[in-house]
Amino acid sequence: MVSNVQSRSVASKPRSASLVKRKKFFIGGAIVLLAIAYLMYSSIQDATLYYLTPTELVNQTATSSATTLDRGVRLGGRAVEGSIKFDSSTRILSFKVGDDNAEIPVVYKGIIPDTFEEGVDVIVEGKYTPQGVFEASTLLAKCPSKYVPE
Amino acid sequence: MTDIGYAALLIAFIVSIFTVISFTWGRIKGYGDLLAAARNGVYAVAALTTLAAIALWYAFLTRDFQVKYVAEYSDRKEPLAYTISSFWAGQEGSLLLWVWMIALFAVIVLYQNRDKHRELMPFVQVVLMSTAAFFLMILTLLSNPFARLPFAPQDGNGLNPLLQNPGMFFHPPTTYLGYVGFAVPFAFAMAALITGKLGDDWIRSTRRWTLFAWFFLSMGNLFGAQWAYVELGWGGFWAWDPVENASFMPWLTGTAYLHSVMIQQRRGMLKVWNFILIIGTFLLTIFGTFLTRSGILSSVHSFGQSNLGPFFLAFIGIVLVFSVGLLLDRLPHLKSDNELDSFLSRESSFLFNNLILVGATFATIWGTVFPLISEAVRGVKITVSQPFFNQVNGPIFLVLVLIMGICPLIGWRKASKENLLRNFLWPVIGAVAFAVVAYASGIRDLYALLAFTLCSFVVAVILIEVFRGTRARHRIYSENYLTAVGKLIWHNKPRYGGYIIHLGVIMIAIGIIGSFALKTEVDQTVAPGEMINVGQFSLKYNGLTQYPTANYDVVAANLEVYSGGKKVGSIAPSKNFQSATDEQPTTEVAIRTTLLEDLYVILAGWDRDMSASFKVMINPLVVWIWIGGSVLLLGTLIAFWPDEKDRRRLDARYGRGEA
Repeated sequence: MVSNVQSRSVASKPRSASLVKRKKFFIGGAIVLLAIAYLMYSSIQDATLYYLTPTELVNQTATSSATTLDRGVRLGGRAVEGSIKFDSSTRILSFKVGDDNAEIPVVYKGIIPDTFEEGVDVIVEGKYTPQGVFEASTLLAKCPSKYVPE
Repeated sequence: MTDIGYAALLIAFIVSIFTVISFTWGRIKGYGDLLAAARNGVYAVAALTTLAAIALWYAFLTRDFQVKYVAEYSDRKEPLAYTISSFWAGQEGSLLLWVWMIALFAVIVLYQNRDKHRELMPFVQVVLMSTAAFFLMILTLLSNPFARLPFAPQDGNGLNPLLQNPGMFFHPPTTYLGYVGFAVPFAFAMAALITGKLGDDWIRSTRRWTLFAWFFLSMGNLFGAQWAYVELGWGGFWAWDPVENASFMPWLTGTAYLHSVMIQQRRGMLKVWNFILIIGTFLLTIFGTFLTRSGILSSVHSFGQSNLGPFFLAFIGIVLVFSVGLLLDRLPHLKSDNELDSFLSRESSFLFNNLILVGATFATIWGTVFPLISEAVRGVKITVSQPFFNQVNGPIFLVLVLIMGICPLIGWRKASKENLLRNFLWPVIGAVAFAVVAYASGIRDLYALLAFTLCSFVVAVILIEVFRGTRARHRIYSENYLTAVGKLIWHNKPRYGGYIIHLGVIMIAIGIIGSFALKTEVDQTVAPGEMINVGQFSLKYNGLTQYPTANYDVVAANLEVYSGGKKVGSIAPSKNFQSATDEQPTTEVAIRTTLLEDLYVILAGWDRDMSASFKVMINPLVVWIWIGGSVLLLGTLIAFWPDEKDRRRLDARYGRGEA
């Protein structure tokens, strides 16, 4: 246990020594914070995805250059009724993701979530090819009907 | 019964407002009678919310499907355990659980301090009861769990099969115990600021509450992770989804707070910082509820959008303005008793631990709310995907592990060079030896090697600490080693409980590192009789079987597992089809667990010719995450247990009277 007498004697050390100490801590702290800031800056470059609705995706490709879409897109919409096809020999799933104004054909190969079915809200991640087909590498379906929205 | 439940909530809402007013008024004017009435009000709120909780359970157990909430989250064939846990399957029940807990905690705090803290207590209760009042307002006006349907359906919707899992039974209540638990130290902090009694009393009297809240929040996260791992069937347990981050962020700041209060107790420093941390932690628990309930961010676990968002935002705003304003006002009275003596001191290792934890919190918040910021600033929604969180938090946590090892090796105030050399020698030798063994055993991933080496360093430090203490007792009291180690821990429970918690955390870290850095996976479609090779395993597919159970029709794929040419077992991933309804099937993964790795097999689908597709993964060391969780429990129990020596030390420091 540190007695109070001792700690008081430390606190009344010459000012200059305490300034040097403070400077050390300040520099140490600044290095940590800068390191974290740098980590955040460098990591966010290749980890961001545009989150678009089908209508926005159609508009984007119509107006802007294709380069904005090179880095990958997260597309959120509804799995359009009657559009789901599954080729059991190639195990490729194809369907359309739509909203009120646009529908985009999607192909996907991989694990299909249990909750995926016609009419559910889905999120796909992948690339929108110049041929107008969305090649998805990830397929997420929102939780099923039992989570009744308020 | 449901009418009683709603009436109880309504009365509790009115009473909670009454207690807030009478505690404030009674304390300012010194009216003893009013304070006594307010104290009874706290008991009344606890009794009334208990009654409401019983009423909701009663409705579930009697299958009263006219109650909308019961119809939405349960059905007739649901087993007892999940009928009970349906209570917290949706928004209304979760909020009721929250308010019930805070009311019970308020009563416990009132009882614990019946002879103590006469100055603080009224304001502690004002804060707790105001929070309760906010949730009661939402329950009575906006999100009534007892709302009725115009008719009584024959059967309910049933609990989502994904939620029928032991992990989901425990995850919400444990998380909420953690969330709500942090309200207690927050309330004491606010009371200290309001009354101007800014000593360490408020910290001392909430040490156990902080530990309690931290433990349950840790367990809540672990139960959630385990549920995701066995039930969601994508092979992982953590995806940096906004909902997961919601409970992870207060855990980070709570961990920082748990450590920084030790500095204030020991050295009288970091007073302002501790207030900031506990205010931040409390706000993050509310923010977490806001994130999960408002549907403002897209999440796989989206719980349905609701209209509660603005109310939570308003509550957060009020708390933020009030608490920060108060803190700024008291700033001149919060001078440090001491200064940091040396860069090489235990204090400074705590300081860096704090800085790093808060940095991790900030990075996680940034990634979580980035879509909102980018939409507000640039008009496009940009989401941040998993690699961001892993790349940022991975290195941060490795440094944290390093500090965890260094901290016990440097003394308080100032460490001497000779001391350091002596203390570091053996743990470093141990860690290097481990690294060599790990390399020899075939681990070539640089990241994993570094991480495991750091973990082994921490373990070596703790074991050597315990060994030194034990040897000293053995020599001085000539106890045998077993007695000595037992007594060593028993006579300094906070310290060694803390070390055991650290061991648990390291086990969890080892599991996380193993499964993130060393995972292998294979996607393959095979015909009956064919093999899938993954890592050292070969799996022989023997075809499908179909059989009914009480609730499901099960289609299972049978696989024999070979390792090194020898059969080591069999494994049967399946899909369950709800018999009566046209519900979607649920995929049940099959996991073969050993201490070294999990073999994780998902049945993706099959064809008419009996050929089937599988995703097979080897997730190394995952089981250590769950083992670490039980070690956490053990360490917390020890640290929680009353400790005579610690009490004497604190009594000597603060005097017996007030505390």
